[in-house]
Amino acid sequence: MSLVAGPGRGGLGDGQFSQNPKLCVDKHVAYIQSLDQRRDELDYWLTEHLRVSGIYWGLTALHLLGHPDALPRDDLLKYIISCFCDDGGFGAAPGHDSHMLYTLSAVQVLVTLDALEEFEQQIPRGKDKIGRFIADLQNRESGTFAGDRWGEEDTRFMFAGLLALSLLHLKHLVDIDKCVQYVKSCQNFDGAYGVSPGAESHSARVYTCVGTLALAGRLDAADTDALAGWLSERQLPNGGLNGRPEKLEDVCYSWWVLSSMAMIGRLHWIDKDRLTSFIFQCQDPENGGIADRPGDMVDVFHTHFGLAGLSLLGQPGLAEVDPTYCMPKQVVERVLNG
Amino acid sequence: MGLYSESPDWADIEPIPQDEGGPNPLAAIHYSEEYSEAMGYLRAVMARNEMSSRALALTEDIIDMNPAHYTIWLYRAEILFAIKADLHQELEWLNETALAHQKNYQIWNHRQTVVDRVGSPAGEAEFIARMFEKDAKNYHVWSYRQWLVRRFDLWEKGELEDVELLLKHDIRNNSAWNHRWFIVFGRDDSAVAGDVIQREMDYAKDAIRLAPQNQSPWNYLKGVTRRAGNPMSSLKDFASEFASIERPNEVRSSYALDLLAEIYSQESDGKLDAAVALDLLAKHYDPIRANYWNYRKALLEQPATAA
Repeated sequence: MSLVAGPGRGGLGDGQFSQNPKLCVDKHVAYIQSLDQRRDELDYWLTEHLRVSGIYWGLTALHLLGHPDALPRDDLLKYIISCFCDDGGFGAAPGHDSHMLYTLSAVQVLVTLDALEEFEQQIPRGKDKIGRFIADLQNRESGTFAGDRWGEEDTRFMFAGLLALSLLHLKHLVDIDKCVQYVKSCQNFDGAYGVSPGAESHSARVYTCVGTLALAGRLDAADTDALAGWLSERQLPNGGLNGRPEKLEDVCYSWWVLSSMAMIGRLHWIDKDRLTSFIFQCQDPENGGIADRPGDMVDVFHTHFGLAGLSLLGQPGLAEVDPTYCMPKQVVERVLNG
Repeated sequence: MGLYSESPDWADIEPIPQDEGGPNPLAAIHYSEEYSEAMGYLRAVMARNEMSSRALALTEDIIDMNPAHYTIWLYRAEILFAIKADLHQELEWLNETALAHQKNYQIWNHRQTVVDRVGSPAGEAEFIARMFEKDAKNYHVWSYRQWLVRRFDLWEKGELEDVELLLKHDIRNNSAWNHRWFIVFGRDDSAVAGDVIQREMDYAKDAIRLAPQNQSPWNYLKGVTRRAGNPMSSLKDFASEFASIERPNEVRSSYALDLLAEIYSQESDGKLDAAVALDLLAKHYDPIRANYWNYRKALLEQPATAA
């Protein structure tokens, strides 16, 4: 999966924006398929450190678009397994060190492909190894997680760890009460959350904190109305959402903000029609793909988060997405109830 | 042929080619040769865990081409400490790398590791000022700055003065407002002196008078009020400077109207006034959030509301 931006841009080719744009399902499917074949560009290699996440973004987007089999399953599975490291984690590409973020992406892809059994056939006790890798990265004093053996801590890694463990039915390996305590310590005077105690509130960090509370079954620990009020203030007059006060809108915040609001039951505080129209304007209607904002280059990251946001908004023609797991709801239900 | 394959310094190393893992499809790989060659040598020296100045130089070369390659940073830090490299020189190089790659994550953890080892924050304030010239809201820089404050006990070493300068330049810089809160209230949970509370209230009020439709100082003002244990009604006169339900066409700040609605809703006979303020917000001053304002209005109907 290539993470190369472009070639298209959001909006129409001549810089004009359609007044009544539609969701370009087939174009997006073709766009994601084409990414798998763009290995002759330097950027393909410069984005190697994100490859496994790129596969997760592309595959999830295809599921939401109703084309779950548009990429070759065997190739994806082989690639994911080739990123598995002896320490129990996954690197972003073969030969890269294990990291929490890519371990989560790999688990999400394995689950989406319904391939955990095949994974264990090749890596005996593979699920337990992953569980150990994640659990060892928890700071047992503060509750938060490091991303790798280097020790950088970030609420992203805490949420990623819990999410992967939940998909593997291994949440009991970590101290969940401590995670909840840590999230509480990241709450700011405006009701929202930053990346660490004292850090500025930021929509993407809000998603990781609220997601952690959701996985812990402790959404009661959030100050729901203050938090949702702050989140709803992220919507700008053009319909798009930003990450912090006085910053520009960006399609990826359609996910961080909406998913958080969905988890705490306040999604309807966003003006749905205006946000939908903003995301539509970010599509390249000719070659597919979604950009961060109209006029910019499309890429798989914004394509995925734009579609996931539209799915939460109930867009017809898209499969339902789970707001916590950021995976097709059907897949999440299969793995959690199965 | 390339930089490494022709160099006598690297003659003993056999580069390891990229393993793409899965079956290799279709398009011919045609990676920029320079990057491809350097990566081949990197894989080889990492495989033997070589700690040397040539390996350090190699990581620098690759980071210049691709700073987001997280595995290289860890290796670089290990080499630095193993060969006892000059860490001040490392910081000089990091300054330029950070300035050239504003959105990169890995640089900051590396810098933290190095500065922690150096044991002094000398020069960091100047570097941060240079970063802020490019983007005074860079989230990585602000997080790093908080780490510096805690690590080197810089709470009273010019942080507040610096925040004031940044806010003078851009009163809407929410990151600077957050840092102000961190410096004044974030040190510990102990009670903050009354004169400090008063100073912070006055500071936020002055900022609001300069630009009434600015979310950050309103959030700050409400935060200070709560932190001091004062009721929101203590802000009623101030909020009334910017909005009044008697003069619905002259509202200068939707945040003032929002606050007035909250204050009215807590008054025993204020429900009707609160509803008027919330209607104004839903219909005229912030219609994109009409559902939120209507929710607040619905709460007024419930007994013992806490809007």
